Amino acid sequence: MQTEATPAQADVSELDLVKRCQAGDTEAFDELVTRYRTRVFSMIYNMVRNEQDAWDLAQDSFVKAWKSIKRFQGRSSFYTWIYRIVMNVTIDWLRKKQVKGAGAEFDDAVELKEIDPASRTAPKPDALPFEIIERSEIRARIEKAIAQLSPEHRAVILMKEIEQMQYHEIAETLGCSIGTVMSRLFYARKKLQNLLRDVYENI
Amino acid sequence: MKTFEEKWTAWLDGQLSGKELAEFEASLPDKAAAEAEKRDVKKLGVLLKRELGAGVLCNEDFFSHQLRERVARESIEPPRKQAAEVSTWWTIRRLFLTGTVSLAFFLVFAVFVMREKNPAEQSQYLTQILNARVDPAISPNATISMFEAKEDRVTVLWTEGLQSLPADYAAK
Repeated sequence: MQTEATPAQADVSELDLVKRCQAGDTEAFDELVTRYRTRVFSMIYNMVRNEQDAWDLAQDSFVKAWKSIKRFQGRSSFYTWIYRIVMNVTIDWLRKKQVKGAGAEFDDAVELKEIDPASRTAPKPDALPFEIIERSEIRARIEKAIAQLSPEHRAVILMKEIEQMQYHEIAETLGCSIGTVMSRLFYARKKLQNLLRDVYENI
Repeated sequence: MKTFEEKWTAWLDGQLSGKELAEFEASLPDKAAAEAEKRDVKKLGVLLKRELGAGVLCNEDFFSHQLRERVARESIEPPRKQAAEVSTWWTIRRLFLTGTVSLAFFLVFAVFVMREKNPAEQSQYLTQILNARVDPAISPNATISMFEAKEDRVTVLWTEGLQSLPADYAAK
């Protein structure tokens, strides 16, 4: 997993910062926020696709982290721990939004017949020349595709592909088994392959 | 026991090795197609990383400032919360005490009323001493008491000191 600080700095001073936070030092917490705010915001933004919502959820996540920092026992890295909070806050928010919006947003109904892993069964859409697709259009396509995943599938694919997290780290963050992570990753990839094939084939 | 999905994912991510890898690859019906899909997944990963990886938080300083304000507020709030809890607790305690005192009063009142209404020594019989004199000359100390069981509606006449029963008292 990547961190903004160098590994040595992160390992040593992060623990120190956490201890100071646990003693009520808000400046130490401010330092941790500075270290992770961009990554946290970016992750949430990729999940919710709205800057204002991502901002609010990032704020909520950090406030929640501050409130429960005394319970952090250092069994995992601080980043995994805060990511767990971020994911809980974001997935809860997405679920509530889904309920309010009558649940029409996610479409995880990937039928098994669509996903024969040993063959490329998905219909191949007419490929547009990559050069002429605007960057914003690609981004919009990706966001639209990700929006069709459930919050859990979104979280798994983003943590794996963007954050380069290991299975066990993702499992720890989401509070599920490694097998569940792998299974979710399988379906999330299949779905995105079907939706974005014309985009990534031209890379 | 890993499911197919788990093995497939592990294979794509290069997490299978040794016997497990050999067995899985042997089970694939079309190795070439599987390899092509593996390349697809890699491309998908590259695309996602490139397009979504470089998230930018505008106004970082304002973000931290806003958060500091919130944390400061949250840090001040607990005593207020505690005061609210204490106040709530007092209300609950007061209610509890009031309830207990009321109950005690009720019980004392109820015991007195019940004792008055239904004294323990009261018989289940309604007794009437008639002091009827059968014949003062013959039986000067004869008394007749009448007991009436309230619930069973039975009346018993109890006579004492009766030495003889007048003929006209005989049952007809």
